Amino acid sequence: MKKFKFRADITAVTVVVFIVCIVLVSVMLMQFRTVEQTDITEIENMRESELRTALSEWKTKYEEVATQLEETNNRIEEYNQTIEDNEAASELIDEELKESNILVGKTDVYGEGIVVTLSDGNGQVEAYDLIDLVNELRYAGAEAISINEVRVLSTTDIIDMGGYTYIMVNLQRIQGPYVVKAIGDKDYMSTILNLKGSGFIDRTRTSSRINVSLTTEKRVEIPKSNNDFEIEYMREVESE
Amino acid sequence: MKKKQIAITLGIMCFLLTIALCVQIKTMNSANSTVSQSLADNELRDEVLRMKEKYDNAYRDLANAQKELEKVRQEATQNDSTAEAKEQALRENNMILGRTDVQGEGVEVILEDAASTSSSLNASDQIIHFSDIQLVVNELANAGAEAIEINGQRLVNTSSITCEGNIIRINGERIGTPFYIRAIGSQSRLYGALTRAGSILDAIAYYGNRAEVTKVDNIVISRYSGTLNYEYLKEDK
Repeated sequence: MKKFKFRADITAVTVVVFIVCIVLVSVMLMQFRTVEQTDITEIENMRESELRTALSEWKTKYEEVATQLEETNNRIEEYNQTIEDNEAASELIDEELKESNILVGKTDVYGEGIVVTLSDGNGQVEAYDLIDLVNELRYAGAEAISINEVRVLSTTDIIDMGGYTYIMVNLQRIQGPYVVKAIGDKDYMSTILNLKGSGFIDRTRTSSRINVSLTTEKRVEIPKSNNDFEIEYMREVESE
Repeated sequence: MKKKQIAITLGIMCFLLTIALCVQIKTMNSANSTVSQSLADNELRDEVLRMKEKYDNAYRDLANAQKELEKVRQEATQNDSTAEAKEQALRENNMILGRTDVQGEGVEVILEDAASTSSSLNASDQIIHFSDIQLVVNELANAGAEAIEINGQRLVNTSSITCEGNIIRINGERIGTPFYIRAIGSQSRLYGALTRAGSILDAIAYYGNRAEVTKVDNIVISRYSGTLNYEYLKEDK
């Protein structure tokens, strides 16, 4: 009798332990699910912030285009008016041409902006330093840029020459110190360039290869491009 | 003794079960929040799509309006030779600025991350960096390119190429590998600059990345999709 009772106890314990095992396994499975779901929530969160960025980007673009559409329609009306009245359109076209010459880089310009000066330190200033700086200035909204009084446009090249002894910008030879001027929102440009970690000034100072300084100015003067702006190879795509 | 052991075992079990319950409740909570979250996301997604559609429509309208403007401008200036000359100058400016679709002879450069990554090499050497793109563009500019685009993004005077993490953006638009850089200009000069020994393409291809250039007889480059204007520039007289 005693033996039998003992065995019954063991059976009970075994059963209980078995049940516990099952429960534990289910709990673990549940836990796995929880973990998975937390991951999904994270992705969902990321998506949400991405969506918000996308929304504001499209909105900005829409507003820009809407403004330009209005301006274009106004211009069309003005031209139509001159056609109706049989007047000369020269005033209107003068205005348009003036504006586009400024954008192209055919005129000397001035405005508020910043001046960044690069000079040799432990190492030499290379063309890529200038390419990098120009790119960041454009990102920061610069409307006109020059390096040592040479205007920098979209098709301007910056090349190392003579075994890094000098640099050519738009086929003009320049030498250090390199004075890079930019017209635009001076506070915004200086903030972007000074950003800790990613800004040009901070990155350059951290690597301590070359010397860099930045000043904000109320009036920066940038000369017109020395390009002849002759179009040789491209032509307009005929509209259907 | 045995009873005590059973009691302890049962006690532990109860404890575990309680924990399991707590976990389950938490799971339910997070599951609920996920559902509501994705609902909010869907609304947001709809909003983004609506805004994009609004932009697309406005952009199409703008393209039509610009065509019409060109037409009326031509009409208004046709009887006046000085005005006609100015109209021509304006057209050329717009081509240079990237306000018109342009075509002409040139080259196409394809840059693509290395297909198979060899672990013996630095992984960073086997992908295309934004600086590689900058250097190719610089080389094309040096060879006299008149118009350049990268994956459909026309480069204008204010275009920047940026990189956040592994996302490259041009004109604020995301682009990814493979990169197609097209340039209009003297085909032989552009091609020569990129195929000479020790060219930038050689350097990019060195670790297994794809870097090719082909001559194309008629490249079409679309206009810049953003707007060009200025706020801070003043003309110096």
